[in-house]
Amino acid sequence: MSNFIERPRYTCPLGGAVATITALPGGIPILHAAPGCAGNLNWTQSGASGLQVGGYCGGLSVPSSNVQEREVVFGGHERLREQIRNTLDVIDGDLYFVVTGCVTEVIGDDVRAVVSEFQEEGTNIIYAETGGFKGNSYYGYDLVLQSLFRNFVERGGEKVKGRVNLWGIVPAFDVFWRGNLEGLRNLLEKLGLEVNTFFTSDDTLEGIKKAASAELNIVVSDVYGIEAARVFEEAHGTPYLSTPLPIGPGATDSFLRQIGAALSLDNGKIEEFIEAENKKYFRFIETLVDVYNDADLQRYAVVVGDVNYAVAVTKFLADDLGWLPEVTVFTDQLRDDQKPHLAGRLADLESGLQPKVVFETDTSEIIGHINNHWPRFRSQKYYNALGPLFVVGSSLERELAQSIGAAHLSVSFPVANRAVLDRGYTGYKGGLRLLEDLLSAIVIGR
Amino acid sequence: MSYFEQKEPPKREDRLKACITFGGTICGLANRPKGSCLDDGERGFTQGSICLLLPGLAMINSLPDSVVLVHGAIGCGSSTHGQNANIRVGSNIRQGKVKDALWLSTALNESDVINGGEDKLEAAIQEADRRYRPSSIIVVAGCVPGIIGDDIDGVAARVQPQVNATILPVHCEGFKTKIWATAYDAVYHSIGRNLLKEPKEYGNVVVDELEELKEKQRRSRTVNLMNVTSMGRVDELELERLLRALGLEVNIFPVFAHPEEMYKATQAALSISTCPTHDDYFLKHLHEKYGVPYIIKHMPIGIENTSLWLRDVAAFFGLEEQAEKIIAEEVRELEAALEELKPAFAGKKVFISAGEFRALATGNQLAELGFEVVGIRSFHHDEFAEVEYEKLAARNKDFVVDIANVQPFEEANLLKKLKPDLFLGHHAGNGTASKLGIATHVIYNTGLSYIGYQGVYEIGRRLYRQLKNTTFNKKLSKHVRLPYKEQWYQEDTFKYINSRGGEVNE
Repeated sequence: MSNFIERPRYTCPLGGAVATITALPGGIPILHAAPGCAGNLNWTQSGASGLQVGGYCGGLSVPSSNVQEREVVFGGHERLREQIRNTLDVIDGDLYFVVTGCVTEVIGDDVRAVVSEFQEEGTNIIYAETGGFKGNSYYGYDLVLQSLFRNFVERGGEKVKGRVNLWGIVPAFDVFWRGNLEGLRNLLEKLGLEVNTFFTSDDTLEGIKKAASAELNIVVSDVYGIEAARVFEEAHGTPYLSTPLPIGPGATDSFLRQIGAALSLDNGKIEEFIEAENKKYFRFIETLVDVYNDADLQRYAVVVGDVNYAVAVTKFLADDLGWLPEVTVFTDQLRDDQKPHLAGRLADLESGLQPKVVFETDTSEIIGHINNHWPRFRSQKYYNALGPLFVVGSSLERELAQSIGAAHLSVSFPVANRAVLDRGYTGYKGGLRLLEDLLSAIVIGR
Repeated sequence: MSYFEQKEPPKREDRLKACITFGGTICGLANRPKGSCLDDGERGFTQGSICLLLPGLAMINSLPDSVVLVHGAIGCGSSTHGQNANIRVGSNIRQGKVKDALWLSTALNESDVINGGEDKLEAAIQEADRRYRPSSIIVVAGCVPGIIGDDIDGVAARVQPQVNATILPVHCEGFKTKIWATAYDAVYHSIGRNLLKEPKEYGNVVVDELEELKEKQRRSRTVNLMNVTSMGRVDELELERLLRALGLEVNIFPVFAHPEEMYKATQAALSISTCPTHDDYFLKHLHEKYGVPYIIKHMPIGIENTSLWLRDVAAFFGLEEQAEKIIAEEVRELEAALEELKPAFAGKKVFISAGEFRALATGNQLAELGFEVVGIRSFHHDEFAEVEYEKLAARNKDFVVDIANVQPFEEANLLKKLKPDLFLGHHAGNGTASKLGIATHVIYNTGLSYIGYQGVYEIGRRLYRQLKNTTFNKKLSKHVRLPYKEQWYQEDTFKYINSRGGEVNE
């Protein structure tokens, strides 16, 4: 294992946690941390989250205890108590959520004790320990959900038929989080389900509180939010289904079938719905056919992304679009036991393609993996090049794409060079969005 | 003993008695006895801020042919994603090639926290040297090594003989100082300790006396123009233009300067700062150790301040007459051009928020343009700014001054009361005013022109544009609200200053 990570495509658990809490309806993060932690997330997002920063109480507005050397020496729990008390006076929120940074965790502040004093007074306040050395921002998201499920979601009560929770898309660190969540929410609602997605403007804190009434939790990720799903099952008895992020018709068809099976929905109805949605999808594609052929828009592809996008984009390119993904790079830090499962997600592509799967956290090493996979030009007269090529990755892949003469689109975090508000790639419609963006990148010079 | 002989620079609270907590008025600040410091207090309610690591990284990420190795938890350093655009554009415009910042993280985990991270750091430096073959490896410590006691200087000294790159340890442990401007000292400290030695050269076999004379002549007219990232290339060019008009050559230092060329700063005839918040620590060192005199007084933002800045430089070289000619011509042209814009500004109220010196200089500039300054929020306070407070106090009616490391809740409270027409805030600092429906403009962005005579005109042009259609913020304010309780707006803005109980944390 390497002794460093080059240009990590994530920040710390605290950063992921703050972005997640800020995205909750009425959520107020209270950082018990050094003064720069909030600013670090703010600056990170300003150049990496498709121009999105903050929210109702985000950015540099987040309450933060800003601990100093004095707290390191004498402990920070008094400071935290004072900060929470005054936050309740100044900040108007519905759920206050204390999260910790490296400093307060290393010095061992008893956050649980301080928070419980306020809980006893009837304040809607919970906490999560999100010190920076525990993992990355995706894990911070998981930790926030775990705490929400343990400490906020009401226990007991009946399961309600047709009610589901859905998560696995990390606010701000999936730059398309809002569009992606809305896309899936709308899709499942069309099937007649009642969906809680936590972070869209249709979600409410009341709905989240009653999340235990769902009969199924759907986690559209193989990694993000999985521990939280286990916590949920343990605390509330709701099983979970983990699926890849469904982008485009192929993946969405099988996503819907899986959910139909898990909820014992009428099979015929599901198939009818799938057919109708595919019909709509291909009515759009129909008008593309001439230029797609005339301009020869099929491409080889290199996909570089987090666990959600690496799988979802590769599948979409190979099995919906008929492109040729040759190398797929997972850029997350992963445990060895997680890797075979993720590689397995790309082992049985419908198109029969077998992209080379690489696990690599370091940006500048990626070119080496591509060269290893596809022999470089050696001055032959006839050379079957890896081209025309498209790199779907993050904005850190611009140098790579340029160096190998490929078109490029930023999809996975960081996305510095795109403005993203409600755009999403999930479902049938999301497939059309992604296709538009890919082809637009190719024809931009026309 | 010089500060530079110690491993770490002192924090600014100690060195300059800098503070971050004050609520009062401009006349109150301007009329205090010279050199007296405010007793810094604490707020009982605080919002998130930045730490010295962020501006520190902004500086060192710009150095060509270098690798930044953040020794800390995995998140420390991710602010580079936000700074990367500046590195890309800055590299392209200065070196002709777009280049992403190259930074690494030792990503300390729980076991490192328990067992110490020095071994990991040592191996990381060696691996970075092999993999990237950089000229320098800048090792920046975040909070965690500061708490668990990793000795980054010790590691650097131990590994240095085994690697080709020059190792620069930089201390940016965020909990150690409230004054993030300590970042500039931290970076300068390591540059001063590690990069100013002249390269070993073999003497010329044949001495060309004419060339030597020319070189001597060139050095006698070369000035260091200090830039710690607060100026983009467009601003550097404006100051270069003015300095060249005096017959001077300009060495920009230290942003985007190649580590192997940095020693040249020790050969200049003069160092010129554009901001007393930035450079005093290093300029004193250059003076004491290498005999390079310096000027650190005015910030060349605004007409008067640009002229004062240029006059000081000219006086050093005995070029007063030449300077007056340049200034007269520049000001005449500028004033004429501003006539078209000024009617849009007359009597408009403005609130300004930024680093202390920049906020004050910009205040003076906006007063020149016809605005009325109704409030200033400075990120910290130290004695360098007294002269600037005096200038503003003389020009304006009395107004409120809030000294705070951002703290938008105080700002929201003030803005509701003051109702300015325009707000100028720092990077990541315009959201509160925007949501209140006030016209806004960013007071610092390396892609835009702010400095010198050209900066006056360009800021004027941008403000003219912003004020011409304020719909974006107005509509926003109708549909989006700030996260404060209604009762907060009725409270004293400075309610939470010194509200901490005496027994707390003692």
